[in-house]
Amino acid sequence: MSDLERMDFSALDPGRDPERWSRLMDATRLRVEAALADRAGATGALDILGAWYRPILAAAAAVALMFGAADAAIAGRGAALEGTSHARRLAALSDNSLGRGFRPSGAALMVALGSRSVP
Amino acid sequence: MDETDTELVHSVRRGDRRAAGRLLQRYLRACRAVALAVTGVEADADDVCQEAFVVAVERIDDCRDPAKFGKWLLQIVRNRARNLVRSNVGRRLVPLVDTAPAPGPSPAARVERLELRERLLGALAGIPEQHREVILLHDLEGWKHREIGDRLGLPEGTVRSHLHHARRRLRQILEDGGATE
Repeated sequence: MSDLERMDFSALDPGRDPERWSRLMDATRLRVEAALADRAGATGALDILGAWYRPILAAAAAVALMFGAADAAIAGRGAALEGTSHARRLAALSDNSLGRGFRPSGAALMVALGSRSVP
Repeated sequence: MDETDTELVHSVRRGDRRAAGRLLQRYLRACRAVALAVTGVEADADDVCQEAFVVAVERIDDCRDPAKFGKWLLQIVRNRARNLVRSNVGRRLVPLVDTAPAPGPSPAARVERLELRERLLGALAGIPEQHREVILLHDLEGWKHREIGDRLGLPEGTVRSHLHHARRRLRQILEDGGATE
């Protein structure tokens, strides 16, 4: 027999048992469809996350803005308090200088205005 | 006109069940031939095919060249079949023979067919794995040399050479009464 001739493998042909082959096809198709459904589910979850991403980001930005505004307001109040204490110190300095008849030095003015380093 | 593998792979990526069914019809027999070439056991080959197809669908986005889906799929089949063989080493008492009888016209014919299958599987065990893949895809599945070369990643000349040597060796083994080297 020539090596160019096809060998007979019909005994190994899955088609020789159509029922078994059909069961294999059906079982594989069912599992493949389940895998496709899982893929669709996973993609859907990503889509949902994607859809929520922007509103969540916008809400986070709004919250950050509110906190920022509150922080700025508190900081502003602090600045106002600081300004008040400077004014009070200036008033005391001028009251002293007028009452005792002397001119306040530059250093004393700087201290009254809140400068930490006196030149 | 038949859709190309590329079109079907893109459809599967979009979740098209019909496209997945078409790929299954197109490749399940070839998958089984490759799985049988590696495992030598029909029941194992069936299991491997099923697993491999499910994995292929799950990882369809990893198929970098959809035109070469067949080659990619057969590689998955081969890897899973080899894993199964490795995990079966030491466990299988009767290798390379599937004892489940196929239905036939009579008990005698069934026994004869079973014996023939055992002889063929025993003979196949005596040639290299790649030769088994080539001869089963060509002589059992009717693929052309070029198709086999494309799907196995072999030059056409190598496919012809493997086929020639596989047939010669198999006939030798079968003439010698099924003894493998």
